[in-house]
Amino acid sequence: MLTVVPVLPDYPYTLHTLDNGLRVVVIEDHLAPVAAVNVWYDVGSRHETPGRTGFAHLFEHLMFQGSTHVSRNDHFGLISAAGGTLNGTTWCDRTNYYETVPAHHLETALWLEADRMGGLLDALDQQNLDNQREVVKNEKRQTRDNQPYGSWLDLVHRHAWPEGHPYQHSTIGSMADLDAASLEDARGFYSTWYGPDNAVLSVVGDVDTAATLDAVSRYFGGIPAKGSYPPSPPSDLPRLIGAEVRRTVPDRVPVPRVFVAYRCPPFGTPEFDALELAAIVLGGGRGCRLYKSLVLDRGLLQAPDGDVTSTWPFVAGATVFIADLPAREGADIAELEAAYHEIAEGLGDGVTEAEMERARAVHTSTWLHHLATVDGRADMFSQVTTLFGDPGLVNTLLPRQLAVTADDVAAVARDFLRPDNRVVLVFEPAGDPEDTEEAAA
Amino acid sequence: MSLVSQRPEPGPPRPWSFPSFERREVAGGRVITCHLPGKPLAVLELVADAGAVTEPAGKEGVAEIVVRALSEGAGEYDAYGFAVAGERLGATWRSHTDWDSFRCGFEVPVGDLVGAAELLAAAVREPRLDEASLLRVRDERVDEIRLDLSQPGPRAGAAFAAAVWAPDCRYAVPDGGTAETVAALTPDDVRDFHGTRLRPDAVTLVIVGDLDATDADAAARVVFDGWSGTCTETPPLRPPVPRSTGARVVLVDRPGSVQSMLYAGHDAPNRRTPDYVPMTTMALVLGGMFNSRLNYRLREDKGYSYGAFGGFDARRDAGIFVARSAVQTEVTAPALVAAVAEIRTMHETGSTDPELEQARSYRAGVFPINFAGPGAVASGLADLVVHDLPDDHYDRLRQDVLDVRLDAVNAAAAQRLRPDDLVSVVVGDASAVADELRAAGLGPVEVLTDEG
Repeated sequence: MLTVVPVLPDYPYTLHTLDNGLRVVVIEDHLAPVAAVNVWYDVGSRHETPGRTGFAHLFEHLMFQGSTHVSRNDHFGLISAAGGTLNGTTWCDRTNYYETVPAHHLETALWLEADRMGGLLDALDQQNLDNQREVVKNEKRQTRDNQPYGSWLDLVHRHAWPEGHPYQHSTIGSMADLDAASLEDARGFYSTWYGPDNAVLSVVGDVDTAATLDAVSRYFGGIPAKGSYPPSPPSDLPRLIGAEVRRTVPDRVPVPRVFVAYRCPPFGTPEFDALELAAIVLGGGRGCRLYKSLVLDRGLLQAPDGDVTSTWPFVAGATVFIADLPAREGADIAELEAAYHEIAEGLGDGVTEAEMERARAVHTSTWLHHLATVDGRADMFSQVTTLFGDPGLVNTLLPRQLAVTADDVAAVARDFLRPDNRVVLVFEPAGDPEDTEEAAA
Repeated sequence: MSLVSQRPEPGPPRPWSFPSFERREVAGGRVITCHLPGKPLAVLELVADAGAVTEPAGKEGVAEIVVRALSEGAGEYDAYGFAVAGERLGATWRSHTDWDSFRCGFEVPVGDLVGAAELLAAAVREPRLDEASLLRVRDERVDEIRLDLSQPGPRAGAAFAAAVWAPDCRYAVPDGGTAETVAALTPDDVRDFHGTRLRPDAVTLVIVGDLDATDADAAARVVFDGWSGTCTETPPLRPPVPRSTGARVVLVDRPGSVQSMLYAGHDAPNRRTPDYVPMTTMALVLGGMFNSRLNYRLREDKGYSYGAFGGFDARRDAGIFVARSAVQTEVTAPALVAAVAEIRTMHETGSTDPELEQARSYRAGVFPINFAGPGAVASGLADLVVHDLPDDHYDRLRQDVLDVRLDAVNAAAAQRLRPDDLVSVVVGDASAVADELRAAGLGPVEVLTDEG
């Protein structure tokens, strides 16, 4: 007799808010003696001020440079010596910091996170800032400036959102703004955004909930609440871009490649749920429309490692739906682009139930895969609690998205995957790459 | 405000061992099953002795073409039908080849494991391997290699392999082949490799997941029942021979680069070397952790780079040691000199006790994290097959790491790092960096024009 493992997530969790406003989510999982600690701060690159693009991410690096009781190399040193792994990331809506440790070292991770949440300024100095500024500039070179097609992300940000919108610049920022960042900026950013009442702490793994909450209040309880945070920068914008934006980018690349970005309702809306499924029907996995037509039947599109189309989970005003279309060697780029548009817009004419079943199954497995590890699960709990205030969404968001119908998918395709709502970036092989600022100007 | 000043003491360590598993025979096939309770996804992975080193001479890259071709139509399914059939189960097809192995299979909701096994059986036993699909897969792969080589990292990796190994050695070209070797493959080459290497006596099926929620034996029977044939003998490896001794520099010109990709290393022992544990633990101190010497020097001290790492890749027949970093163009020579200096210092004076303690406790502690899910466990079990390791390998390895002593680690540093034989590859703007590299004293500089 076989047991049945639920196919939808159903994780019991405890949400507790400390007196200082820190929200703590604890999920027990005793399969292996490990624990994941994950802190999301509700600040990202969309909270940056003009002239300081890239600062939220540079600041994330400074959070690893020591604090009141932690010396410069101790974040990595102590967690490594415990047999754990750690890192941090920054994106438009968040900055997160996380450790996965053998469970008996849980309190080491909590202590380290608390010390930098409450005591970063004691260790912040010009030398750390100057060193990490160079590290971040090299990160930008390594991941963008020295890579073929490396400017595409910046160009999507610049053109899919209007001038002045908080998503109009990418998280990595500009070299000039990174150069301009001062110690004063860092102190101000920390004092403005980094407090317990602007953070969510998730702990997942081989832990006892009551003992974990005790430990959390011991380490974090003495950090004072800030009480108030600046209002989010205004993010209202027209629902659609209004006219196609097209940029041709000569670059040192082996084959032409087209990126298409559409402005869409943000993560959290019913339209976004439908667009998630639309991305799978159109360009997710290998049983999607684009793979069949452009890769298998017509040989125009280079078979991707991942998905051809995807959405970004942004919450402020509008997000984007992206298609990534590298051409096969010798394929006509205009033919590829035209074929793509025909298929993408054809989604609006209707979607079959068989396509929906495939999309739902793929979407479910993707979720389960992300939730399979304690660190992936901790990050998901921090994410939905930070963005929507409800940790239960880890269990309920997937069923909500699975309820999307074929008609819903066709409707959002008609409403958003349309010519007057898209940014088209065409990368073309050229001997000498032009400066992308000029190319886009 | 009050923060807790005293760093907490760890609690008592909780026991961990690699998940228990069984090796068995089902319908004449070799099967490994491992029970991970409560996991909604299971992994079905077929591992075959059909890695790059088993490719016939002149057919470099054929293994990777075969593994890709398996999902391009099999049994009753064409390529699209195969994709849809798997995805409607929520099954994700994964395939991979490397030097020593050939792997393919599904991650799948555990209740649909048997259905996924039927697709896997079709893929490995009855792939269509029709001409049109094979030519498309081959040509896509050629495009992909060109795309890869337009990136500094893969370009440096290919140049490094060619610089370290003698030209007629398999290791001198990447495991996935070159654009030239792959473009020369014919449909019959692909069918031959499949027909001679993908035989039931040369494969093992690994099944990891909640075995109370599925019938693993039924899945294994689907794969092996009625499958016959024997694999050809593994061809003897053309012995891996290093190209030359003595330090030298290969500069691959990539005009306009704002960074230089640095590789510095040499040939190294194979996976069976008796000092595997001290050698690889030493490499953690040198370049395998965030606080390792290379990353500390190039990133946290100098700010030259986003990161610098180094270590051994110990394959079945031989291995390599390599240190890597992408550095700002302006500091190319000083960064390479600094990296080489760290390698030399480790070679000459070895590790310190505190560094070794950190590396040891990191490496032993991270086992339960690294083997956290069905995919990682399945991959670990497949590795046992590939390297012919005993059932208690991971638990024994973890204990060996905890027991490794400083004198053994330092002996490995003295013997396995060879600073005077370092081959340095630099992928960057030659007009900006060639002169200072010539002056850096790291050996003669050969400049290659990047055609990628």
